[in-house]
Amino acid sequence: MKQLTPRRRSFLNDLSGYAFISPWLLGFIAFSIIPILFSLYYSFTEYDILGEPIFNGLENFRRMLGDELFWQSLKVTFFYAFVSVPLRLVFAFFVAMLFNRGTRAIRIYQAIYYVPSLVGGSIAIAVMWRRLFMADGALNAALTKIGIVTDISWIGNPSTAIWTLILLAVWQFGSSMLIFLAGLRQIPKELYEAASIDGANPLKKFTHITVPQITPVIFFNLVMQLINGFTVFTQAFVVSGGSGDPLNSTLVYALYLYQRAFKYYDMGYGSALAWVLVLIIGVMTGIVFKTSNSWVFYEAKEGK
Amino acid sequence: MKAKNVLITILVTLLLLPGVLFAQAAAEKTDSNTMRLAWWGNPTRDERTYKAVQMFEAKNPGVTIETETTGWSGYWDKMNTQAAAGSLPDLMQHDYAYMLQWVERNQLADLTPYVNQGIIDLSKINDSFLTGGRVDGKLYGISLGTNAVCLTYDPAVLKKAGISQIDSTTWTWEDFERIAIQVYQKTGVQTIPFFTTDPKVGFDNMIRQTGASTYGKTGLGFTDPAVLREFYAIQLRLLDAGALIKPETAFVTVSPEEGAMAKGDTWVEFIWSNQFVSTQAAAQRPLEIAMLPNIKNAKAKGTFLKPSMFFSIPATAENPELAAKFLNYFVNDIEVNEMLMGERGVPIPDDVREHMATMVDPINKQIFDYISLVSKNAGPIDAPDPAGSGEFLKMVRDVTQEILMKRVSLNEGVAKIMSRGNEILK
Repeated sequence: MKQLTPRRRSFLNDLSGYAFISPWLLGFIAFSIIPILFSLYYSFTEYDILGEPIFNGLENFRRMLGDELFWQSLKVTFFYAFVSVPLRLVFAFFVAMLFNRGTRAIRIYQAIYYVPSLVGGSIAIAVMWRRLFMADGALNAALTKIGIVTDISWIGNPSTAIWTLILLAVWQFGSSMLIFLAGLRQIPKELYEAASIDGANPLKKFTHITVPQITPVIFFNLVMQLINGFTVFTQAFVVSGGSGDPLNSTLVYALYLYQRAFKYYDMGYGSALAWVLVLIIGVMTGIVFKTSNSWVFYEAKEGK
Repeated sequence: MKAKNVLITILVTLLLLPGVLFAQAAAEKTDSNTMRLAWWGNPTRDERTYKAVQMFEAKNPGVTIETETTGWSGYWDKMNTQAAAGSLPDLMQHDYAYMLQWVERNQLADLTPYVNQGIIDLSKINDSFLTGGRVDGKLYGISLGTNAVCLTYDPAVLKKAGISQIDSTTWTWEDFERIAIQVYQKTGVQTIPFFTTDPKVGFDNMIRQTGASTYGKTGLGFTDPAVLREFYAIQLRLLDAGALIKPETAFVTVSPEEGAMAKGDTWVEFIWSNQFVSTQAAAQRPLEIAMLPNIKNAKAKGTFLKPSMFFSIPATAENPELAAKFLNYFVNDIEVNEMLMGERGVPIPDDVREHMATMVDPINKQIFDYISLVSKNAGPIDAPDPAGSGEFLKMVRDVTQEILMKRVSLNEGVAKIMSRGNEILK
């Protein structure tokens, strides 16, 4: 058999590696990289999809400063992210703590509790949420039963509508919960045993063992959910029928971006909005990463 | 090593294969007996359109029509993308709202040559039905059906409130307000805010009655906000009297089955005539159709006949002649229209419409009768919506809610529509 030079052998090795991932690679280039580059270009143009893009420099970004709805959508999105993410994480953590026991039925519960995360963006949920929170919906019926008579349309009132979306977000805690659960299972039993011998009560164990040990998982979940929170679209879209109703109180950033790009055919401005969102998420994630040194516990570091 | 080489060859071949296959498919397209047809629809419309395609194919052996259909919003995403890529179908369903923008971007073909060659026969069609598809004297779309704005009401509730028939051609907004109050006092049934999905349709009708129009060549087409103000003032008066359904409830987007009319919460609903079938089906009780009320001292007719949708041939169509032939068949053939049953709106050729009127079901008969009533009491249609109209409509709907939820005063709200409107439509 002919002997290949090491260099040729490694080239062939690389090539076969690329050949194996080529379906993904091609997809990534065609459906991610190229569109991303195009949208970057469009963000400096006026482009109505039907005509040719016309370069207009920084005009799109300048326009945002005076765009009332841009600021409104930022306000809504920040409020949504800063309220729903902590709530969802706390809730997910709480449920994960409950599930972190050995009984057999837990697996079934896990599956059941994960279901909302799967069906979250579906039209069925939009219909259900309307039925729950409209003026003659289930919530008001329940409130009336316990003596609180109200005909507030929770979903149609500008000051309460965003809360129905936040509730929907909290309800979809499944994936964070599973990650927390995996994290909780990783905590060495010996730590708890040692603490018990030292006479620590459950609360002490929780604050001195569970929480510090789980901080890397909290960190991971926080970053992922923050990104999710800032890019929220589907829930707002289906619940408000794509309008951001009532009175733009559920007009989240990605929804506004969608309206601009695909409803008003303002693709240039829409692309610019998208890049500003990338920037915002980058900054927010950066801040979380920067602060992580002071609160995330890494075992390796501790050993130094 | 050898096995690996073989594997790589197989993988590379697999990767290239789709390219080769697509290239072949593209090569086949140049065939003059094949065309692509696209429309937005619903299950009923899709089924009937497929059948029309089959009937056309059966009459023209060798012809193949490829079909694409989606819902309304997905349709325009798709068509815009195809327009950008230069791969539009040979015949596409089009809408009055977008026609002007498409014509301005040179995306649509002038149909006049096909009319002159006799491929498209317009001899049975009254010219008033065609004006909607004309821009600067050129014909860019043939209407597939006629539509008009209307209100539908519950005659049983009116009867209970002691109100006899409405004379739909002569009644005024004053009459409307009086009836709304009387209905509320006698039966407790409220009135829904006017045109919650698109309030502009409502005040547009009133502005047209003053002889002006909502859209001008640049900016708004009217300077006196008096009727615009009245449009909201009526609703605010009804709201203060308790007779108007709360805006917090009314402006939530719902299906017809969840709507106030279906639940019996309102005696009236404002719709387009082709929505009457679904409104009626959701309500499950007899409803009537009437024209919108007149304003005081009306100078012109507010209601107009609107093409519900068009067929247009894109400028990049590969097989425009076949598309024109199918279009002609679809519009003029009595047999195919018997099957289509006016689902896209009341047919425009006189002979087809007259034939259809004899065989539609009672609910569609109401629509046909309404369209005949309007055709005798209609003003000319305004020019297609200008660029920026989408944003304008959104702004109007937002401000409408602000006014009715009393977040701004009536005067502030109206002033906002005037100033923002001129800004957006400049």
